[in-house]
Amino acid sequence: MTAITRSLGNVSTVGKVVIPLLVLILVVGPLVTVLLATVIGPWVVGVANSNLGILRFVVAITGILLFSIPAAFIIIYMELKVIAYMNLRVGPNRVLPAGAAHSVIAGLKVLTKEDFSPTSADKTVFTWAPVMVFLTAVMTFMVIPFGPGLVGAPLNIGLLYLFAVGGMTVVGLLLAGWSSFNKYSLLGGLRSAAQVVSYEIPLTLSVVGLILLAGTLSIDSIARQQAGWVWDWFVFRQPLGALIFFIAGVAEANRTPFDLTEADSEIVAGFATEYSGMRFGFLFFAEYVNVFIMSALIVTMFFGAWNAPVDINAVLGFFHLAPFWVYLQPGELGLGLLLVIAVAPLLVTLALSAPVYLLRDSMPAWKALVVGFILFNLLVIGALGLAAYIDWDWVAGLVWFMLKAFIFVFVFVWMRGTFPRVRIDQLMGFAWKWLLPAALLNLFITAFAIVILKSAGIH
Amino acid sequence: MTAPVQPHYPHPSADDPRIMLDAQIGQYEQVPPYPPRTEREAEFYTLGDGEMFLNMGPQHPSTHGVLRVVLKINGEKVVDLDPVLGYLHRGVEKLCENSDYHHIISQIDPLEYVSSLFMEWAPVMAFEKLMDVQVPRRAEYIRVLTGELLRIASHALFQGWMALDLGGLTPILYSFIERDEIVEMLAAVTGQRMLFNYFRIGGVNGDLNHEFMSRLGDWMSRAAVQHEANIGLLNENEIFVRRMRDIGRVDRDTALRMGVTGPNIRAAGIPFDVRRAHPYSVYPELEFNVPVRGSNGGGDSLDRYLLRLDEVRESIRIIDQCLHEMPDGPVMARLPRLMRPRPGRAWAAVESPRGLFGTYVISDGTDQPFRFRIHDPSFVHLQLVGMLMKDNLIADTMAVMASLDPVMGGIDK
Repeated sequence: MTAITRSLGNVSTVGKVVIPLLVLILVVGPLVTVLLATVIGPWVVGVANSNLGILRFVVAITGILLFSIPAAFIIIYMELKVIAYMNLRVGPNRVLPAGAAHSVIAGLKVLTKEDFSPTSADKTVFTWAPVMVFLTAVMTFMVIPFGPGLVGAPLNIGLLYLFAVGGMTVVGLLLAGWSSFNKYSLLGGLRSAAQVVSYEIPLTLSVVGLILLAGTLSIDSIARQQAGWVWDWFVFRQPLGALIFFIAGVAEANRTPFDLTEADSEIVAGFATEYSGMRFGFLFFAEYVNVFIMSALIVTMFFGAWNAPVDINAVLGFFHLAPFWVYLQPGELGLGLLLVIAVAPLLVTLALSAPVYLLRDSMPAWKALVVGFILFNLLVIGALGLAAYIDWDWVAGLVWFMLKAFIFVFVFVWMRGTFPRVRIDQLMGFAWKWLLPAALLNLFITAFAIVILKSAGIH
Repeated sequence: MTAPVQPHYPHPSADDPRIMLDAQIGQYEQVPPYPPRTEREAEFYTLGDGEMFLNMGPQHPSTHGVLRVVLKINGEKVVDLDPVLGYLHRGVEKLCENSDYHHIISQIDPLEYVSSLFMEWAPVMAFEKLMDVQVPRRAEYIRVLTGELLRIASHALFQGWMALDLGGLTPILYSFIERDEIVEMLAAVTGQRMLFNYFRIGGVNGDLNHEFMSRLGDWMSRAAVQHEANIGLLNENEIFVRRMRDIGRVDRDTALRMGVTGPNIRAAGIPFDVRRAHPYSVYPELEFNVPVRGSNGGGDSLDRYLLRLDEVRESIRIIDQCLHEMPDGPVMARLPRLMRPRPGRAWAAVESPRGLFGTYVISDGTDQPFRFRIHDPSFVHLQLVGMLMKDNLIADTMAVMASLDPVMGGIDK
């Protein structure tokens, strides 16, 4: 015992922590492993098997929560940078190259700020309103299919759920505006109530034509019906509906030119005037999550969801080709596979570093090798990505979905950089006098077309 | 002015001012915390059914400085409003009465800080009248040249702020590019970017230098094209035009009665321009139009906006002529250091980007003016807002206020 104590006395402070930990891990680790394998593991698997629905829900909601914050960060950064370039500015350029982590740092800053609430505010409502705004935004994610099978809850009344939950955002905004005890906040809250409730109607009606065409309320099914070529997307069968949906969606997301709820030149910051710290952060994130949701919805409904614009099977069939990945069968290589795995990295690294070394006189050999190694890794990542894209259709779906969704996010940002704001009476007039009749017209045209085509025997 | 009316609002809490009881919250809205001094104040600070006060400013994103406007609103509609001035009051007139004639130029500079050369021009002209000074022709041309450059800068800024107040983010940055170029070239010749302190009694502080001329040549080669390109973003925007049209209409009679000058009166259809109506400097020798907009019914916000764009085009013409016709010679008359003009009085007015900016000076024979008074166009134009904004929406107050283009430095003096 004395020997152990003495030798421990010679060890540094860090060692005094690490060595006992190591001992603990060596002793406890196997025990836990054995326990996991024999008792806990089967029990967990059993519970999971019998509660697959709940498990799926938990995984989905965790994934969505984990996804929504980075998505908001990316959109905030995109807004800063894109509008900066439109304004002939540089935009964020401090944190990481091109200021890529700017919005993340800004998010951390928001966390460190004082969580202030006005003296006369309704504290409870004031605290929970941003949570409500954010949660309703995130809840909408549950029914959006990011790819084939990549959907939190494949409801067969997905669209109904979507509009029901999406409409709840306004309650949060109204509560935030009401509880702040600030006249600007109150005006902002009331404006948002009027605006969101008014635009909810054309937003919903514009999709009814689509529902008639698709014959379903399930978003997943709507997405699947758009598979094939570009012209199979619903936007070409419902152009007016798509336009109305887009305009009403901009208004629903409270974005320029319909950002009256936070019109900074009129009512300072609207319902967010009195908010600070992470409560403000929630409101801020919710806005950008809403932008993403609206883009995602437009893509899902009208722009082919996760489907690629090209029907690759049709193309291959036209040239009488099988998909080329059919020929790739690594299992058939046998021992050669082992050879490839062992030798290929070395050979490819050397091959890639050779031109770098030869072309640049000042390049030392080790640097060239490092460059070659990095290039090789990029190659492998690219190859794996390609393989994943080819093998798993959810990867391909996710790629196309994100690409299209972020194109629409860009359009949202672009509009923010270009348009002034409309007035409240123009806003309401536009919703009730133009969008609503147009949506009804779209519905009638679609219904007539369906009836006529059906009677003519064409589907 | 009658006897003070009894206050409708007791102090929030007699015992502890930090605690506000629920019953007192409604009464607490009744600003200001002193008894009303006039009938108008008593009327304004009494709320009707469904009305509330909205205090806008003095720190608000779109009050162009430190203007405070108390709006009485009913929902989104502005029922009544009360501009509260004085947050930028420096007592410039009194300061000027205690400075000698040269110092006044730097005292008066920050009045309209976006077009400060015109603030120097008016007193300098008044003093020259008082002292019978003949200004060299080259100096006059330089004054016109720099003044018109600054007019363009001021109008460019106006355009940007106008868009920003309506929610457009981008035009302000385009405007600032133009303004920055002009301000930089003026800095090359005056040594300052904003408060130039360039004009002197009897001329200007220094002759045009190489850097100024090269920058000016560069800028002139693209100014007209750039101007048209910049305004395209707003003028062809349906939202912008609809926000501005038929808002804040000033008819001709009102404009004349209220003493409106500058672009605001020309937008109402009256071609009054100090440069033509009461010619000064070398403006009679220069060829330019006085743009007029608005119909018989007067001019709305859009007219006022478009008229300023027209003025930029005319200013570019004037600059072009100045560059071609500028004579050689001295830029400063020979004058004594300390000036004691004969007792007398003088008035001089210039056409600043906001309208007629005049100074009135009375000399008692010492080296300081006995009385010095400033007529600022922004102050006159701000008086219109009460008339224009009633029964409009909150958002329109921004459009109207921005289209009148007031600068608080001049209003509060």
